[in-house]
Amino acid sequence: MDNKSSLVWVDRAIIAVLVVMGVMMLMPFLWLFSMSFRPAAEAYKMPPSFLPPSLDPANYQAVLDSSVPFLRIYWNSIYVAVLSTIGQLITCTLAAFAYARLRFPGRDGLFFIMLFGLMFPAQVTILPIYLGYAQVGLLNNPLGLVLMGLTSSFGVFMLRQFMRSQPKELEEAALMDGAGYWKIFWRISLPQLKPALSALAIITFTGSWNAYFQPRALIESQNAMTLPLAMDLLRGYMGQGNISIVMAAMSMAILPVVLLFLVAQKMVIQGVTMSGIRG
Amino acid sequence: MARLPRSDLKAAQARAGYLFVLPSVLLYAVFVLAPVIITIILSFAYYDVSFGFFWVGLENYERFFSEPRALTIFWNTLRFAFLAVSFNVGVGLILALALNRAMPAPLLYFFRLAFFLPVIIAAAFVSVVWSYFYSFDFGVINYYLSTLGLPRVPWLNSSQFAMTSIIIMDVWKNTGFFMIILIAALQGVPKPILDAATMDGASPWRRFSRITLPFISPVLFFCIVFASIGALQVFESIVILTSGGPGDATRSLSIYLVDEAFSGFELGYAASVSVVMMVLILIITVIQLLGSRRWVTQ
Repeated sequence: MDNKSSLVWVDRAIIAVLVVMGVMMLMPFLWLFSMSFRPAAEAYKMPPSFLPPSLDPANYQAVLDSSVPFLRIYWNSIYVAVLSTIGQLITCTLAAFAYARLRFPGRDGLFFIMLFGLMFPAQVTILPIYLGYAQVGLLNNPLGLVLMGLTSSFGVFMLRQFMRSQPKELEEAALMDGAGYWKIFWRISLPQLKPALSALAIITFTGSWNAYFQPRALIESQNAMTLPLAMDLLRGYMGQGNISIVMAAMSMAILPVVLLFLVAQKMVIQGVTMSGIRG
Repeated sequence: MARLPRSDLKAAQARAGYLFVLPSVLLYAVFVLAPVIITIILSFAYYDVSFGFFWVGLENYERFFSEPRALTIFWNTLRFAFLAVSFNVGVGLILALALNRAMPAPLLYFFRLAFFLPVIIAAAFVSVVWSYFYSFDFGVINYYLSTLGLPRVPWLNSSQFAMTSIIIMDVWKNTGFFMIILIAALQGVPKPILDAATMDGASPWRRFSRITLPFISPVLFFCIVFASIGALQVFESIVILTSGGPGDATRSLSIYLVDEAFSGFELGYAASVSVVMMVLILIITVIQLLGSRRWVTQ
């Protein structure tokens, strides 16, 4: 009995320590959010605040009024993330269906070559893409970021594995009845893939929203930038004086991913741990 | 309707198969396969948009391994990777052990939120926030240090502290990822075995080292490989916090590569740097794989 109550006590102590650590983990987010509501003149006033002193949107207005085309940049981020996500959902499901359900010469070889792509870091592909984009005028163009994000080895791999774990009797029966491959794909296989598709969508969207290395290599002009590039720009641009305004921009920039996480916490964690894509 | 002969069916299925994989194969060939091959070719050449293309054999690689600056950067990358991986996985494991107990659902939601939110927010975003935390004169951290009567620390502007500061932020950002994966692994450790060991009077450390650790070792191994691959590519957190400075104290291979490629226009040399990086990742993964036979339960 005594032993048991001391165990409970230990559990409580550990949880208390974890709560303190958890709050500390959130400090940077609390700080940036409350900073975004501090009047710019008081940005450096100490002590720092971790709760918004007011809800005056002046700093948000200042971001929109600044000479950095913030709304345009925001739109670019949405455009690249949404189109890449749609693109991957299409190309990866099509390929996964063929690799998991159809027989054709060279299938396993092709799949293996595709898997190879998982091991090349972005650093090995960026130079030729840069040179190629320079030739065809895709530098400084968000479309360039979309094109290179339209498929992924990971997406093909994950969906193929998922499809193989599903029973294939329905597809076979449909084939016997003379249904076309497209019809089988669309009517039978695709609905089965739903849970994996939402995971892939979350991963692709977050990955694209957070991407920095490739956009940084391929984009210089402000009008073509995505948000991760703009934050660094705003920081330098606004100088040391205007953290509040930078943090207002930051709050808007992280909003979609934070919302996604608050609403679909479990699914986001599953998707991200499955793929290993981090910010 | 007459049934199609078997060979026609096969041909039709093959046609469909190729059509279904076509979009992804084409995109993959253009954006991954061809660029990798071109990078490897470029790494053996001098290439310049105005002067053209010349084979130079191994010259780019010789230059990389004989330039003191390149070597410093090479070691920076390894050092960063070693420390970041150790702390990310180590802290992740401690947190996982601490969190792996019964608790009310809202508390669990809070912990997942607190430890996983940094994982999914872009490093490019949070590094800007941390750069203000680390600022010498106006930084939040130094403010609290000085209210405690401690000296201010030049977090980012001294070569003594800069790397540590980056690693601290990296652990804050990524450890939750490993924590979540390790919690899942810990939940797979059979409770009856642990309970039996407790009954037999095994100490907590003994239970951990003899039962839990062997059980989660494959997952722990995955975490280490995975963390290493990520850490060897480290880029944006350093670019934003220190731009590789002071001097070259925190410059990583990725940053060096981009500097050489996009400001120096030394494309052949830059390509050789990226090949070095790829091979480095490969070698480290293989070493870890070989080493794992000693400690990972098959």
